This record gives sequence, C-alpha cells and structure tokens, in this order.
Amino acid sequence: MSTQLMIPRLEMAMTEGTIAEWLVADGTQVKEGDMIYVLETGKATQDIAAPASGRLVQKGTVGEVYPVGTEIGEIV
Amino acid sequence: MEKHARTTSGLEPAVLTEIYRQMARIRAVDKAIQAGLSGGKFFFSYWPMTGQESIPAVLSQLVTKRDYMVTTYRGVHDHVAKGVPLEGLFAEALGRIDGVNKGKGGSPHISDPPSGSMLTTAIVGAGAPIANGLALAAQLRHEDRVTIVNFGDGATSIGAVHEAMNLAGVWKLPVIFLCQNNQIGEYTFIPDYTASKDFASRAAGYGFKGVRLDACDVPSFYLGMKSVVDQVRRGDGPVFVEAVMQRLGPHAGVGDNLELAPDQLKAAKENWAVPRTRALLLEAGIPEKEIAAIEEAASVEVDRAIEKASASKVTPQSETLVDVFADGTLPPRRGHHPKREAEAAPSGETKTGLMLEGILSAQTIALESDKNVFLLGEDIGDPPGGVFATSKGLQTKFGKDRVRPTPIAEQSIIGAGIGAALVGMRPVAEIMFNDFAGVCLDQIFNHAAKQRYMSGSASHVPLTIRMMVGGGTGGFGAQHSQSLEAWLTHTPGLKVTFPSTPFDAKGLLLSCIFDDDPCVQLESIKLLRGVRGEMPVGDYRIPLGVAKVRREGTDISLISYGWQVPECLAAAEALQKEGFSAEVIDLRTLVPLDYHRVLESVKKTRRALVVHAATQFCGFGAEIASTISEELFSKLKAPVSRLGADYAPIAYSREIETNQIPSTKPIVERARSLLTYEN
Repeated sequence: MSTQLMIPRLEMAMTEGTIAEWLVADGTQVKEGDMIYVLETGKATQDIAAPASGRLVQKGTVGEVYPVGTEIGEIV
Repeated sequence: MEKHARTTSGLEPAVLTEIYRQMARIRAVDKAIQAGLSGGKFFFSYWPMTGQESIPAVLSQLVTKRDYMVTTYRGVHDHVAKGVPLEGLFAEALGRIDGVNKGKGGSPHISDPPSGSMLTTAIVGAGAPIANGLALAAQLRHEDRVTIVNFGDGATSIGAVHEAMNLAGVWKLPVIFLCQNNQIGEYTFIPDYTASKDFASRAAGYGFKGVRLDACDVPSFYLGMKSVVDQVRRGDGPVFVEAVMQRLGPHAGVGDNLELAPDQLKAAKENWAVPRTRALLLEAGIPEKEIAAIEEAASVEVDRAIEKASASKVTPQSETLVDVFADGTLPPRRGHHPKREAEAAPSGETKTGLMLEGILSAQTIALESDKNVFLLGEDIGDPPGGVFATSKGLQTKFGKDRVRPTPIAEQSIIGAGIGAALVGMRPVAEIMFNDFAGVCLDQIFNHAAKQRYMSGSASHVPLTIRMMVGGGTGGFGAQHSQSLEAWLTHTPGLKVTFPSTPFDAKGLLLSCIFDDDPCVQLESIKLLRGVRGEMPVGDYRIPLGVAKVRREGTDISLISYGWQVPECLAAAEALQKEGFSAEVIDLRTLVPLDYHRVLESVKKTRRALVVHAATQFCGFGAEIASTISEELFSKLKAPVSRLGADYAPIAYSREIETNQIPSTKPIVERARSLLTYEN
C-alpha cells in the first residue's frame, strides 16, 4: 500500500506551500519519521517527516508553489 | 523547585510503568497526528503538546473518571490520559459524526463527561472560571471529587485566570489550577510577556498554596502532585501547580519547536520526561521487551482508532441546527414560524405586587423546589439582598451555600455558573447591569451559549443569568443605561426573555431556571419598582417563545418588549383619541421569538412599528421589521418601521436621555406617520 505525500496544512492560515528542498533523493528507501523534504510557508520553513516507511517517489518540484492538499510524492 | 531524590525509590515500579503506559499512548497519538498532517491525510489545526506528556500521565494515577477536568486546545494529551476513547477523539478531530462531540466541536472543543473531561476551551484562560463551578458543585454536594483545570503559562496573563483564582481562594474550592508551564506563550517567551519570576508564587496573593514542580522528573513530580491532589481532595482548598517543562513542538503545526535555539532544543530533548522515564524503568529492572510491548500496544490502539474514525461519515449538513438548543425546532429560520401554546390562565391564590416581588417569589420557589438551584452574584447576600433587593431575605432563609455573594468579578460569576450547570445544577447568576455583560461576554457567548453545540449535546448549560437594564429612570450615565439585548440575541444558543409585567417576570424566570439551555432574563430597573400587577402566589410557568397581545387593535401593530411596552400602551391610548386602533404585542421572549403571533397581528392590521429602548441602528427591531416585510410585503399598507434610541451613548443630561430613547410621544408620532402613509 502506498502513502501519498500531500502539501500539509501546518497552521490555520496556511493555503499554499513550496518545496524548498528534497532532503532525500528520489527512489531512496526511507524510514517513518525520517526528514524527507523542507516545506516553506509564508511564515517559516519546516522539515517534514516521512509518514510511512518505503521508497520515496518524488512528484513535486523544488521552488514550485502548491496549494495545500496537492500531491507532491508518494511512499511506496 | 521542590527537590526530591531522582530515583524510582519513591515510586513503585508498577506505578511508574502505568505512568509510562499513558505517556506511550500520548506519544503514539501525537506521532500519528503529526504523520497524518505531514502526509496530507489529515487537515485540521493541531497544537502539539510534545514535551508535556508526563503531566496528565502522572495525574492519571492520582485521579479517576469521577474527577473533573477542564483543558485547552493544546490538550490532546490531557484527554488521552483522562480516558477519552481514542476512536471518538480522532473522529472528532476529523469532524466525523462518530466523534465524541458528533464532529461539531473538533479537536479544540472536546467534551466527554463519562471520562470526566468536561470542557475544552480555545479561549486562553477561560477554563479557569468554569472549573470553579465544577468544583463548587462537588463542594455543595459533599462529594470528594477534585477538579483540575489545565492551562498554559500564556494563560497566566489573562484576567479570567486571576478572577478564578480569587474566587477559588475565598470559597476554598476543591480545584487545582494546573499551569503547564512550557515556557513559551504561543510564540512569545516568558521574559517578554511577564516580569514575574515564577507563577506559583502568585497563589499566595490569593490566599492559597502554589507549588512549582519539575514535570520532566516523573518520580518527584508524582510525589509533588500526590500531595497536592490529597490536600485538595481533603477539602483544604485550592492549589496552584506550576508544572515546568519545555514544549518541544511549535505553537501550531508539526515538527520541532523552532523558536528554541538549536542548543536549547537539544537540551530540552535530553531532559524530556518520555525518554527519561523509559530509562528509569530499565534502571528499575523492567525488561526492554516489556517496555517495547507497551509502546507497541499503544501504537496498535492508535492505528485501530484512526482506522475506525476514518471510516466514520463527515457530520452532514442536516445536523446544522441540531444541538443549538435542546429542542431542535427552536432555532429561528426563514419561513418557519411555529405556533407555540400559550400558558393556561392562572388558577389558585393570587396577590398584587411589584415586579421585584415576582422575581423574589420565583427565586424562592426555585430554591425551595430543587436543591440544585443556587444563586450567585454581587451583593446578593443579606443585607442588602442585591443592590435592587431582588434577593432580599433569601440568604437569611436559604443560607450562605445557596445564596452566594461574589467578588466583583463577572467572569468568575458566569464561569462558576457554567461549571456547576455542566453537572446538572441550576445556578441563577445576577449581573447587576446589562452593561457589565461586556466584562463577562466571553463566558456567556463563547462558553454558555456554545457548549451544547460544541459538545454535540454531550453536555449542556442550564444556567440562568439575570441582568438588570437601566433606562427610563435617568442619571445612571452611559455605562449603566444600555439595552444590549441584541448582543445576546445575535449569539446562537442563548434564550433571552425581557418581561414587562410582574406576572411575566415571575413566570418567565421560573421557566428559565428549569430550562435545559442557558437563559438570560433582562429586567428593567424602571419596572422592578415601577409596575404592580396580579400574580399567582405559587409556581407557574410562562412558556418561552410566546408573545402576548396586550391590547387588541385593527389599524397598526406596535411590537415591543420590556419597559417600552407601557410606553406603547400609552401611545395606543393616545392614538385611540385620534381615531386609530393600535394593537400592542409584548414579545416577552426575544429568543425563541414568537413570529407566529407577530405575523398574525400584522396580517390583520397591515401596519407595523417595532419599538425598543436599544439603539435603533442594528437593533433587534431590524430583525423583526425585515421579517415582517419579507413575509407580508403584499399585504402591507405602509413600510414596516422601527423606533429605537438615537445613535449615541446614553447621556447623563436628563433632557438628552429622555429624548434620545423612545417614549409615548415619539411612538405616537411615528405610528401616525404610518397610519396616514400614502404611496
């Protein structure tokens, strides 16, 4: 079963976010809790942990602004 | 900080294991929420409590479900350890129908009375006055329950907490003010928002004990809390506990607390009670396998709860008006104008008296007939029995427990009423002037009014608030003369009455006291001693939401309430001399509003004027005028009109005051303009 990675709503006022950096290369095996990318919001940047263990499939592009809820990757 | 040896020796390994089990459950919940938010699976606001787990985990070994708890939006750990079912907790956070509160409150407003988790507020500090009420109920019922109110260090700045501490001190309430001092109020650190060196020492100023405990050192924290809980349970009065740790997460969202410098964060994680307690268990000889099994069980419990919660339906739109009031037909809605039965004609012995005597009689009957009824308010003891004598003699008759004069602190009054009402008491709180609603409005409109809805009817607030309303007597000035009913009627969840006769004042007040929803009765100071009337000596009830035709007429409907009703009756008399027949409708109850009788009257007269003492602009009359226009547009012979006070604060000058508020003459003039209106 794969787990979708979506731009999370980290705070009440957040409507969109930017992938500042992928911390882990595409296709890498990650463990639940490993930091996998840096999310930039209007207010701050935040390291985002893997919600599950598996192989990371990147779909989102660094620097792109995505609305909250957009799928930016998958853990398969 | 209180010093205890940092060993498990003061604490049975079995107790420490149970504490760790709760910490593991809290950690599993925290991790699952953060993973769900990060992965985009959950979309809700989250205020992580990472770092604070030990506080409720320790308490779980010192209290039971019988003990009451109030907490804040950063309170998921408190709910988990108190025993709120995880499935219902997650379903609630996800806004689902199987949530403990039917998905109507959400994560910041959890209430689960079966586990003793009584109320969660998202208004910083507002839980403290309510906790007093829960503690008061236990005290009055001679129960040995303890009430714990959790709040963050940020809440120590707000007035509600200070008012609550003062009241708890003077009434020696069995309540623990549990300040979870995570050392940062949202995004602002302690030295930037207070000059206080600590918070525990503030308790001495209110006449009770305060202790500062290290929540990261679980054995010492347990021993410290045990002595506090024992003391409060014994009935030795309140205690303020400052439980110190460091919040490891952000104010809202997921991940680390990035407000902390990297070395501070590192130190805080090393000092974190969760790994420290785990190490203590190993030190005490608990096998690693056993600890891992506790953690695994917690994780399985959480996964199952999320799975079940996720399968529950999103709370549907059909639930919108359910849980506003006990009776789902009461919320006003367009085109819905039910006819409610009027009261039966009074029977039995009657007497003639002032409105004041009607109020006194209603409270006497309520106190006599139900031990859950008690009165609280400023100066209501004997003497003087209330500054307007509306409780004169009641303290002498019913004693100091049931007729309770309070500090001059309206938030503490309403909060105590709400808390006691949550557990089935029927408090009657007096607010001396309607104008003082401003200093307790948060308790009224954010808590009393919304609790039934936010809890999905898991709890409700059968509280009655009596507020005296100035106007028409002169000389009270701008801060003691306002009619602010629109503030109340605009808040879903409150019932509002505004009587104009002694008969109604008594019958409506008795209905309010025995109603299961929060009611506010507005009592005109002018009428309290200014109007006499006949009323039954015994108990009778006037149903809420039933207007009364005070005078029948055929040419125009004058629609009013409170002390403007006699003005309208005088105006009708004057109009009669000019050959016009005016009908006078006394609304009596503003919420629920009797649109049926209003519309029936205007259908007949085809003209309507709404009159009130409150400011006309955005006043309650606008609501009525708009609905009449919409419902009866084709039948009307003239535009529906409103007459209220001029748009200005109430002046001290007699000339201005008597002219800025409607009275007989301007009512007659406006009515005449409608009666002679030509297209």
